[in-house]
Amino acid sequence: MNFPISRRESLKRLLRLSGGVAIAGTMTWPLKAPLSVWANPGKKGFLVEGKGQTKGYAVKDLTKKVFDAAGGIGKFISKGDVVVVKPNISWARAPRFAATTNPEVLEAVIELCLDAGAKKVRIADNTINNARRCFAITGAGMVAKKTGADLIYPRSSLMRNMKIRGYRLDVWPVFVPLMEADKIINLPVAKDHVTSRLTLGMKNWIGAVGGRRNVLHQDIHQTIVDLARFFKPTITLIDAIRIMVKNGPSGGSASDVETRNTLILSNDPVAADARGAQLFGIRPERIGFIRLGEKQGLGTYDLTKLDRKQVTL
Amino acid sequence: MKARYLIWIRRISQVFFLALFFFLLTETRLPQDIYLDYSLDFAIEQNIRLDHPITFFFQLDPLVWLTSLISGNIWIKGFLWAIGVLFLTMFLGRFFCGFICPLGTLHHMAGSIRPTLKGERMVKANQKTPAHRFKYFLLIILLIAAFLGVNFSGLLDPISLLFRSMAQAVFPGVGIGLKEGFDLMAQSDIKILNPLIYSGEVLVSPVFGYGYQSYQTGWFMGAIFLLLLFLNRIKPRFWCRILCPLGALLGIFSRFGILKLAKDQEKCTDCKLCTSNCQGAASPKPGQQWENSECLVCFNCFDSCPENALSFGFKWSFKSNKGPDMGRRAVLGGLAAGVSLPLLGRLDGQIHKVSDPRLIRPPGSLGERDFLELCQRCGVCMKACPTNVINPTLGEAGMAGFWTPHLIMTMGYCEYTCTLCGSVCPTGAITEISVREKIKRPIKIGSAYVARGRCLPWSGNTPCIVCEEHCPTSPKAIYLRDDVVSGPDGNAFKVKLPYVDLNRCVGCGICEYKCPVMGRPAIVVIAAGESRSIKNQILLGM
Repeated sequence: MNFPISRRESLKRLLRLSGGVAIAGTMTWPLKAPLSVWANPGKKGFLVEGKGQTKGYAVKDLTKKVFDAAGGIGKFISKGDVVVVKPNISWARAPRFAATTNPEVLEAVIELCLDAGAKKVRIADNTINNARRCFAITGAGMVAKKTGADLIYPRSSLMRNMKIRGYRLDVWPVFVPLMEADKIINLPVAKDHVTSRLTLGMKNWIGAVGGRRNVLHQDIHQTIVDLARFFKPTITLIDAIRIMVKNGPSGGSASDVETRNTLILSNDPVAADARGAQLFGIRPERIGFIRLGEKQGLGTYDLTKLDRKQVTL
Repeated sequence: MKARYLIWIRRISQVFFLALFFFLLTETRLPQDIYLDYSLDFAIEQNIRLDHPITFFFQLDPLVWLTSLISGNIWIKGFLWAIGVLFLTMFLGRFFCGFICPLGTLHHMAGSIRPTLKGERMVKANQKTPAHRFKYFLLIILLIAAFLGVNFSGLLDPISLLFRSMAQAVFPGVGIGLKEGFDLMAQSDIKILNPLIYSGEVLVSPVFGYGYQSYQTGWFMGAIFLLLLFLNRIKPRFWCRILCPLGALLGIFSRFGILKLAKDQEKCTDCKLCTSNCQGAASPKPGQQWENSECLVCFNCFDSCPENALSFGFKWSFKSNKGPDMGRRAVLGGLAAGVSLPLLGRLDGQIHKVSDPRLIRPPGSLGERDFLELCQRCGVCMKACPTNVINPTLGEAGMAGFWTPHLIMTMGYCEYTCTLCGSVCPTGAITEISVREKIKRPIKIGSAYVARGRCLPWSGNTPCIVCEEHCPTSPKAIYLRDDVVSGPDGNAFKVKLPYVDLNRCVGCGICEYKCPVMGRPAIVVIAAGESRSIKNQILLGM
């Protein structure tokens, strides 16, 4: 577990400064480190794939069906949990361009979490374009309004240096809401990217950190894996309802988008990405961060090792 | 009506309009709860617009209307409000200054809350002096210069001045202070502080936002504003009496006012309370001739006179009031300066030779000549811009374009699907465009080029594709080619090298903003290629 060492250290330092042992008792504001409730290493991973085949199917129903096939949302979310959903809403693009997570999927997931008794659902993403505009245009704002989820505006006061302890990243500012969650749901959209080839689940964590993100591309694959090892989501749901096949990651044209009507749910981040890569007709082992992810023990891209299920609607 | 009531009506009106001004100023940004309906995504084209009529005070301002009319030959949106104000001024005098003008209200407060000057010194400070003519001089300069094609009026127009000072100096200044406090507390890691700063920050965010808003020359705007406020301690409403060109314009129009100050010399005991309380130094004391065009219609003299020697009342008469005391020198000087300024402004060659490469105007801006005829330098576009990229110019637009808006790509970038600045411009110097128009035409604001010496892969330092990744056009204007460069140790080094396709580049500047080479990025946007200019083009047939 990567505990936020910096916080403990600075706390100690502050305590020493103020000599305030007496106030130590007041400092137990419930800040939970991300709980490692995701794939138990001993347990077998699973991968559920949902496909919408009928014309005019409801994306919401498909989302629910996918979760049901995995044993129901209650298996992942407990009553009273603070759930943070991490969509990819980096670009101020309309949903039809598939540059961002489909708002219908986002809405369905939040509703499922609330049905499962989650105390609070937060939507957290450190966007690339202006956050206010991203919220407005991608549909995340409307989803938050409809479901009552908190939409957290990324800002410098919510970035805190954490020990990533990766091969490439040591200390890096992390978006605090993700640190304070009981459960994390990774909700990326599948799309094209120039250096990492694809943007899938593991790359979505670049949107969960702050700092000078523009230097991360100098070693993109290792950075992605370092972050994916730090953020351990309860579950990953890849939105491939519409995928962006070229001009990624920003896209912006209808011709960049293909419809796949697919959702991929897994507790193994590498496997989810591997299946996502196949949708683009790319062999998973050809992608650097998937290969590295398996090598560094994050999961497997050998999909035969998983419990696989397919549901259709 | 009793004078006391009039005073209170005036105060309520002043507070109301000041509050309205600050409300509209605060609302000049993307609202917190704004969102587009995603279920309509495939059906219609949606544009983000602000809900409130945030340019209301500019519509109310006759100087804005008049200068854009004689300069750009344009009837600005909502000009009927301004005509209404002028029409009422003909009968009521400078009621705008006394009852409505938010800058006037601030000066009124600065001058009359625990004033420094007492007794005889205050009476002396409130005597009319020849310096009052200076505002006519300024007004004539502005009108003549506007007529000759350079609209400087926004530099001195009270509404523009106040908006600019508030939006680019006072609010960002306070905002930065608060934000630094929040960040400091966030770092402190005392757990109790965390929820406190979280809610504190959410609480102030509707006004100050979440970022560090900053503006080039903002400090200068703030300093001028503070100086103007301070001057009230030496002479109450220094600005309104001596400098304000709008006050001068309204003073001229108050010629036929029917709201008149009646003086009863018999009752006067020469206590000078009226003069001591006079806001406009309009000689209210019986025995002096009342200066109709200097009177700010504050009713203080009426209220303060213990002997009831003064009273305001409506009186029709065919004889016009005492005309404004302009002074021949002020008029002639104004004419000379008004003619000179636009000529001086063209000496830097910005219009006729080549414009500064850093002069990147907001998307939808008119050509430079037309732009300078209309731009009020009010800073509304800068306040509305969500990325803080629009900044006041210092020297980029030459003398004639001082404090007009331009984009500094190291401060922010122009968001590809955003057209907010054009929709809020009070005079239409930035025209309103739709997102569709911006992308399809496309509206270019400049062109990017790679500075290969600084570029990380070009210089053989490290792989990097950040500019390509962020390029928002489809297909991307920045493309990569696999290539081999020589690394620091002389070894061959495989990289992807960025190139710019000028046909596709719109000059949005996100590449420059996100480039890891900070301060002087390795990819830079210059104004050349901007679609608002026929001349400033790079490629044939664009």
